[in-house]
Amino acid sequence: MGRKLLLEKAHVEGIRHYDVYRREGGYRSVEKALKMQPTDIVEEVKKSGLRGRGGAGFPTGMKWSFLAKPDGVPRYLVCNADESEPGTFKDRYLMEFIPHILIEGMIVASYALGSNVSYIYIRGEYDWITDILEVAIAEAKQNGWLGKNILGSGFDCEMYVQRGAGAYICGEETALLESLEGKRGNPRIKPPFPAIKGLWDCPTVVNNVETLAAVVPIINEGSEAYAKIGIGKSTGTKLISACGNINKPGIYEIDMTISVEEFIYSDEYCGGIPNGKKLKACIPGGSSVPILPANLLLTTAKGEKRLMNYEGLSDGGFATGSMMGSGGFIVLDEDQCIVKHTYTLARFYRHESCGQCSPCREGTGWMEKILQRIEIGKGTMSDIDLLWDIQRKIEGNTICPLGDAAAWPVAAAIRHFRDEFEWHINNPEKCLTENYGLMHYADPIHVPA
Amino acid sequence: MSDETKKIKVTIDNITIDVDPGTTILNAARRIGGDVTPPAMCYYSKLEGSGGKCRTCLVEVAAGSTADPRPMPKLVASCRTGVMDGMVVKNITSDKVTDARNGVVEFLLLNHPLDCPICDQAGECHLQDLGYDHGKEGTRYQFARRTFKKEDIGPYIQLHMTRCILCYRCTYVADQITNKRVHGIVDRGDHAAISTYISKAIDNDFSGNMIDVCPVGALTDKTFRFKNRVWFTKPVDAHRSCTTPGCCGKATLWLRGEEVFRVTARKDEWGEVQSYDGKPGWICNTCRFDTKATASWTIEGLTTISRHSVIGANKYKTLEMPKETIKEVMHGVEPKLLMDIHSVSGVNNPDIHLSDIDRPAHSSDFKK
Amino acid sequence: MIQFKETSLHKVNEIISRYPKGKQKSALLPVLHLAQVEFGGWLDVPVMDYVASLLSIEPIEVYEVASFYSMYNLKPVGKFVFEVCQTGPCMLNGSDQIIDYIKQQLNIGVGETTTDGLFTLKTVECLGACGYAPMMQFGKTYREHLTKEKVDAIIKECRAKAN
Repeated sequence: MGRKLLLEKAHVEGIRHYDVYRREGGYRSVEKALKMQPTDIVEEVKKSGLRGRGGAGFPTGMKWSFLAKPDGVPRYLVCNADESEPGTFKDRYLMEFIPHILIEGMIVASYALGSNVSYIYIRGEYDWITDILEVAIAEAKQNGWLGKNILGSGFDCEMYVQRGAGAYICGEETALLESLEGKRGNPRIKPPFPAIKGLWDCPTVVNNVETLAAVVPIINEGSEAYAKIGIGKSTGTKLISACGNINKPGIYEIDMTISVEEFIYSDEYCGGIPNGKKLKACIPGGSSVPILPANLLLTTAKGEKRLMNYEGLSDGGFATGSMMGSGGFIVLDEDQCIVKHTYTLARFYRHESCGQCSPCREGTGWMEKILQRIEIGKGTMSDIDLLWDIQRKIEGNTICPLGDAAAWPVAAAIRHFRDEFEWHINNPEKCLTENYGLMHYADPIHVPA
Repeated sequence: MSDETKKIKVTIDNITIDVDPGTTILNAARRIGGDVTPPAMCYYSKLEGSGGKCRTCLVEVAAGSTADPRPMPKLVASCRTGVMDGMVVKNITSDKVTDARNGVVEFLLLNHPLDCPICDQAGECHLQDLGYDHGKEGTRYQFARRTFKKEDIGPYIQLHMTRCILCYRCTYVADQITNKRVHGIVDRGDHAAISTYISKAIDNDFSGNMIDVCPVGALTDKTFRFKNRVWFTKPVDAHRSCTTPGCCGKATLWLRGEEVFRVTARKDEWGEVQSYDGKPGWICNTCRFDTKATASWTIEGLTTISRHSVIGANKYKTLEMPKETIKEVMHGVEPKLLMDIHSVSGVNNPDIHLSDIDRPAHSSDFKK
Repeated sequence: MIQFKETSLHKVNEIISRYPKGKQKSALLPVLHLAQVEFGGWLDVPVMDYVASLLSIEPIEVYEVASFYSMYNLKPVGKFVFEVCQTGPCMLNGSDQIIDYIKQQLNIGVGETTTDGLFTLKTVECLGACGYAPMMQFGKTYREHLTKEKVDAIIKECRAKAN
């Protein structure tokens, strides 16, 4: 069983509250950090190898070191708690049950970056979690961890929670900043990047909830100890939110050395597929990363066991691999229809497109309509090639990554499950009542003994 | 330090020029001109913050700079990407760009009503030009096109939301040139629309400039609506001493005989409002909508129209007709006509010059 | 005359104080949330105009924002709003059947309100509860692991509250 860094105390009664959290060793990292130089903290985070846990996996320390520091201009830390990627619900868990770990991490990060006012931008639907965070912030302030001259260090820091109002796109960092400024969540055209011109045109770092929480163990235990956990460039632990057709959906903290197979079938994690069904496919990193059929999911194209880490999940590129993404692990059993699932995702991206740039605004709706047509048995063979061409023309040509996020699931579904699309088209009536099932992928699928 | 800023070198489609630091790829390409210049549907050099949205100006950066010659992984919006010294850009020489641009044009036309025959913008529409240059025949879209609830935005400007490509230019005009913005973008995604939300009249001294910046027929001049096709009118440059602060008083009058059908700001070769002494020559609504007598204007002469524009057709009869060369190269053999269009169509009578008619052309003119 | 209660006005000022001077527009999203709760569950034009005046911004800036985010209702809704998630992971766990069941029980379609003005049914996209599917947003919190029995209980609970 792997080490737990974030969820170690998750099951301690009352850990949501300050007293218990502090008693269990909370806020030690702030005490330690405030005695360090801010640049040394940035160095520690760099050395830890921590990568952004929101989805892109960009090295956090590097992001911090890009922050511009012009004289007389305030700098901001903004926590991206706009968790909206289908399949992802890990940040919610942290904030709902251990809110103080986020606040603790944010205080350290604020000190390292020189942010005297830091904001948590949380998705609007997490209304009750906003209250939990606000209570936790008030507790932290009461106990001297926020406010003026924290622990006599001379460092001032205030923290506020801002609720969004229903827009997936605000998880994109520049759209988030626009929204925080009280505007429509239209992603900005980059450059300039937030590190130069962010919130109210000031240098800003935007980090995911889990990323900021991970700063706590990095400071407490040191970057070396943190970097020793995990494997290769996948250091530390990662929260995986597992859902779909599994026995034990929920949040798991893994140390990124385990295999995908172990994660799905072991009782410590997902506990296998319910009702003795077989595994058909899986989207391992949130809805926008490529879906993989069972055989490619469990083993790489080279025939090796696929590991649950950044390198392992992306082994083989998009041709035979996928991505770690946000850690939203969606499992589909043999009864699920790939066409329908892809259609719901296409609908999601159409619904969430901000409408600013033409490929995404027009292309997402077009893909949705075609997928719906195929799903209800009204598609034609040329629709598959058309879908392929549309996704190809969206990918890489949009202002923000939502275009890619909308294109990849469609591309991967066609790449690996083309015969299921064809079956829908060839069986316009049967596809309404029956499922394609596993038909042509029968053999390589793992069935636990 | 000398005041001279150091120029930097950029190569676009194998043509190298020196530009000031901070210049965008698009503006560098405009300096070269011609086919090398990417089309731009949303960028407008006179409007701060514009650009980046339509994606028609995407180009390939084959080398980032002399210092870091790595290529950029994705195509970039040339209107919002600054050049670096030694940058190598591919526009029409890149298959990737051509492919992406064809895609963008298809996306822009996907839900467009293609109602050019009844659209006042026809003939001076940037989307028409773009479709002509990069579009494909036919459409692969087999679904009902998007429609919007009609909205009246006052007596001067006609809003056709179905034609809009969401370039946001009109919102920048409202923000930057008028005293108050009452319209904006409402809703999101494929339903995002230009609207006042409450059907309010857009009415202030400079609102008419929204029409001039609109690249398509989404915002047209109500006082010119259905009055004439632009290519039947004769554009002349004119000026008057306008008392509205901020109005340059320099305009293009679109004439039939003595009658002024329409007044617009003067446009440059990129279809943008011309600048005078570095300042954009916006005109006020009084000049645009309420000054339609030639006597109120001092006419300077014919507006220069690009020879590629349909507006120039039939205007310049003194021009020499192109020489017929087929007979010459074919050793005296006349080209074989499958059908002489003039014998079946009364409209295309080569003996009638439209510019001779001092009012809208009528079928009776061709039956003479 | 549209006016926030004294306590809400207090809250508005507290929210504005979170941002630097002159950046009060940042308070728009939270203030619209407050307004929606206080003024009948939706944002009528006069309400939005009032919010604009509170934050010293143009009304169009409020309309633009209110129409962008899916949580703001621009039309009246029922006293109780069921927002059922229908995205991939929820679909895998039977959200379609739950939506159909609610439709049938309340005799309304998606986006409609019951004639007594009590219930509105909406379908929404991923709410971040994929592991606890199927689910819906119900007021401030979520109702998860939905079954037909749970839906019945929620409807009963609402009717009891309404009486």
